[in-house]
Amino acid sequence: MSGRPRVYKTEAIVLRRRNVGEADSIFTLLFPREGKFDAVARGVRKARSHMRGHLEPLTRSRVMLAQGRSLDVLTQAETIAPYLVVRGDLERSAAALYGAELIDRFVGEREAAQEAFALFSLTLDALEGGLSCNVLRWFEVQLLGLSGYEFQVETCAVCSKRLTAQDTLLCPGAGGLVCEGCRAGAGPARLLSLRAIKVLRYARSATIDQFASVNCDEMLERELRSALADLVREVTEVDTRAGRFVDDVASLPAHVPSPPLDRDSVYNEAIQS
Amino acid sequence: MPEGFASTPDPIARLIDAFHKLPGIGPKSAQRLAYHILRVPEHEADALAQAIVDVKRRIALCSICLNITEADPCIYCTSERRDPTAICVVEQALDILAIERTGFRGRYHVLHGVLNPMDGVGPDDLRIRELLARLGDHGVTEVIMATNPNLEGEATSMYIQRLVGPLGIRVTRLARGLPSGADLEYTDDVTLSRAFEGRQELR
Repeated sequence: MSGRPRVYKTEAIVLRRRNVGEADSIFTLLFPREGKFDAVARGVRKARSHMRGHLEPLTRSRVMLAQGRSLDVLTQAETIAPYLVVRGDLERSAAALYGAELIDRFVGEREAAQEAFALFSLTLDALEGGLSCNVLRWFEVQLLGLSGYEFQVETCAVCSKRLTAQDTLLCPGAGGLVCEGCRAGAGPARLLSLRAIKVLRYARSATIDQFASVNCDEMLERELRSALADLVREVTEVDTRAGRFVDDVASLPAHVPSPPLDRDSVYNEAIQS
Repeated sequence: MPEGFASTPDPIARLIDAFHKLPGIGPKSAQRLAYHILRVPEHEADALAQAIVDVKRRIALCSICLNITEADPCIYCTSERRDPTAICVVEQALDILAIERTGFRGRYHVLHGVLNPMDGVGPDDLRIRELLARLGDHGVTEVIMATNPNLEGEATSMYIQRLVGPLGIRVTRLARGLPSGADLEYTDDVTLSRAFEGRQELR
């Protein structure tokens, strides 16, 4: 018998949605106390559903749930933060979806996730507030730390010798940076520039606002993205799907506003005739 | 099969198995449907079987707009009464029926899905390349994004805008706001904000 009340109210961030049956959806939600789990919303896809817009992925909502036999049932939802800016910008949407996928992969079912909830809320707030998408690197470092995968950046991950200030090999399999002497047998590695190492160290102690002010040029940003993708892959053992989408979006041409239309739309012409 | 164990005759077991593979059909529903087929007159069962065979043999994707059609190209792509300069982009073929009821008389393009990065649906899984290939034809001046107004639909529209925008073609999307019969009290913040953005003068 579960210790949860039969009906309970809580805050939640919607991580993902899967449609089932005629009009139902199963939502993966992240809760501050209850951790992450799936809940079903009946009839939520119908046009007159009151909950529909309040349960969009990447929305922070106040929800009411009733204990169900297999899945808890969402009975009410009200938006706290709709993240309109994130939703209206492709780069920010992709970044936030990547964050949601990482949370989904790192946080276990129904395990306390207060810190992960605060971390993801903070990151979504930062993206909404206009901070650069490089705050994702801060999010990755913090999430790896929270989940018990803090990688070594001060000392060699194999021999624990203090590292000198120079470009150094990052070896995810060994758990962080490795010195020249321990390179053999440490597994696949990539050379990380001293600049990137300094940024990774800073990400450990900086607040998200402090980290957002770090001046990252495109080369450094790419280097950090690849290094952290390697570290994340070491834990998840697969490439993140949303990570590939972030790369797809990064390769798109810059936004070009649409030219004005010099005639009424086809629809208007059709209904006026 | 040992004596005393109930066994389902093979043809029925195969039919149950076939129904079970359909979306939304569980094992019990599959059994009910199979036993219903057993009871219906033979000509009705034949008609169902023939309809399934026909839909697989005679229905294909239109080579231009990727709508499902019996004749290739489809009626929307061949009709001369339609404006070839406006293409309405939809997620799935069924959406065309809804848009047709509004009086729209341009052309269509079916993406066969929307971007859903968390489920592994990326740009290469959609028919975006085919859309871009069409844009040089017939002097297309407007691409109307009619994807669903949810996170995935919006991301898909923005993604396509980024590819089409540099070609000098206008990309528009359907207005978002309150549906008829809605209650303001229960409306979510995103819908209400969009409704305010798109407010119109009373005429």
